[in-house]
Amino acid sequence: MDSIIEIRNVTYTYPYCPPAIHEVNLTIRKGEKIALVGSNGAGKSTLLLTLNGMIRPQKGQISFNGRPISYDRASLRTIRQKIGFVFQDPDVQIVAPTVWQDVAFGPVNLDYTEDEINSAVHTALHLVGLEGFEKRPPYHLSGGEKKRVAIAGVLVMDPDVLILDEPTSMLDPAGSEDIMDLLDELNHQGKTIIISTHDVELAYPWADRIILMDKGRIIASGTPEEAFSDKEMVRRARLKTPILLELCQELRSRGMKTPDSLPRTVLDIIRIIEQDQHGAIRLSDNGYGTIHVGDVDQISGPQINAILAGTSCDTIGVMGSRAKICARQWGLIPDISYAVIDKCILNAMNGRTSLILTTGGMVTRVFERVTTFNQINNRSIPVRALTPSGTEGDNS
Amino acid sequence: MLIHDFLEEAAQKNALLLVNPYTKLLLGLGSIVLVLFSPNSITPLVITATLSITTIFLAKIPARFYVKLLSIPLGFAVFSVLAIILLTGGGKELWSFSLFSVLPLSITTHSLQKGLLVFLRIIGGMCALFFISLTTPMTDLFGVMKEVKIPDLFIDLSMIIYRFIFLFMEKTHQIHHAQLMRLGYSKPKEAMRSYSMLFGSIFIRSWDAGENLINAMDCRCYKGKFAKMIQYNPIEIKSFCLVLIYLTGITVLLVMTMNYSF
Repeated sequence: MDSIIEIRNVTYTYPYCPPAIHEVNLTIRKGEKIALVGSNGAGKSTLLLTLNGMIRPQKGQISFNGRPISYDRASLRTIRQKIGFVFQDPDVQIVAPTVWQDVAFGPVNLDYTEDEINSAVHTALHLVGLEGFEKRPPYHLSGGEKKRVAIAGVLVMDPDVLILDEPTSMLDPAGSEDIMDLLDELNHQGKTIIISTHDVELAYPWADRIILMDKGRIIASGTPEEAFSDKEMVRRARLKTPILLELCQELRSRGMKTPDSLPRTVLDIIRIIEQDQHGAIRLSDNGYGTIHVGDVDQISGPQINAILAGTSCDTIGVMGSRAKICARQWGLIPDISYAVIDKCILNAMNGRTSLILTTGGMVTRVFERVTTFNQINNRSIPVRALTPSGTEGDNS
Repeated sequence: MLIHDFLEEAAQKNALLLVNPYTKLLLGLGSIVLVLFSPNSITPLVITATLSITTIFLAKIPARFYVKLLSIPLGFAVFSVLAIILLTGGGKELWSFSLFSVLPLSITTHSLQKGLLVFLRIIGGMCALFFISLTTPMTDLFGVMKEVKIPDLFIDLSMIIYRFIFLFMEKTHQIHHAQLMRLGYSKPKEAMRSYSMLFGSIFIRSWDAGENLINAMDCRCYKGKFAKMIQYNPIEIKSFCLVLIYLTGITVLLVMTMNYSF
């Protein structure tokens, strides 16, 4: 993958303070999902603010797409359009009296034509699942909705890189999962995503790469398994080991055979335990449960409801914001809205049937994921695509 | 302290929200003009009654809240009307009194009439104003301002003010609560100290918020423009005609009762 942002020897010091970031070197590649993890005051926010030129480092250089950032007004505007920044506190970021006006803020200042503004705002609100909120004033919104407005206000400028400072602070767990699912979806569409957080449980399964920070320096960088395995580093960064990793380490120290690759999800750990204890999966009487996959663009609400009435589905999972909107409109209450595929595989292994509603490219992703899982683990979990006629094409 | 919040809240949820703002503005502003032109108490009385009924039954604003709102200007009205009644003269004297032998106070038939008229004009005008503010949220008014070509600078500023009033109101509440919980208002002296702390910290917060606002706008490529939303339902012939008929009716009433002195 090509690098999109290069940070070389960057140092920044706030007046009368020790350096907030010191001699930081980092390469961010296109399409990565990066989580910057560290304790309070580790310099995460400062580092993120240097990326779109909000803070000009006293030493060092930042390049975007191979070209060093220059700090005149015109180039800064270009950079900030390409690298979108979502503040931690949506109240700071939302400046306009209605949702529509706030989301349209960027496009208006970038001199979009009226039609472009309308369609861009519509698309952005669509993406974050806030259609119909156009005329609402921000003080009428919940924390999660405000966060979505803030994200839409940045997405509307179609940035290549999306930076989110503490995207899930101030949100309830369900709200956080929705946001993380949205970030996954955006990443799937090709955007590079960088978040800062100190929620290790959240960062661990989500990120491609974890960067641990402490006292303004990067102390470790690597896959989540690598970064969090080093207990000394985790202690220095004042974090804790993710519970799954800890469980795996404890099992290993008790002599249980664990594969070289460390678990990242509940599915992984179940697999490890079952392989060691049983050799093969315990199958419930009726065998594997089927995973049905429906594309909301091709099936209508009544059809789904008819299919649901005909078959017995134990769980309904919904992936992606458009599918979530459709599900809401059709009166379906999803049981799962984050890490849907994994949870459905878990269900299937337990003999339960599930339905995944999603859109376009994600349908293929479900098939790929389940097929790979079947191949690696020598299983035969059936996946079927739902078709509008109700007859199901077997595809497992 | 929370009245503003409630006003806007009520406006956002009122039953006439979707009616075109020009229709509502015409009704409100037209009524104000008619109230001001009325030479006697009949027109203001009719307008007060009809607009209150419209606000309570058509816009579905809770009656208790509406009465509470009206009682605010009522307090001011009572005092200024008292002054008018006691200080102006003319007509037959009903009662008189000399205060400290330098300030002669008297109630006459003319002063009573004048006082009553001013009082009813105030109430009628307030009903019309409340009709506008309870049925037309600010967010719609910004669109109207843009369409009637009020300078952008003015609209942008009022939009920022509108946005921040709610943030500061919330912060004020939080700080006030925190002070109450620690008995900050138990004694007059304490209360004085607590209030000064409250105002001080709100000032600092607004300063901070200003800086954050600039940063947030810069982050989103600000170069002096604010998006305006002009998006409301088109003028409905039916409701617009009803408003016109109403205003014409009141005008006719006004002209016909021109000679009554009540």
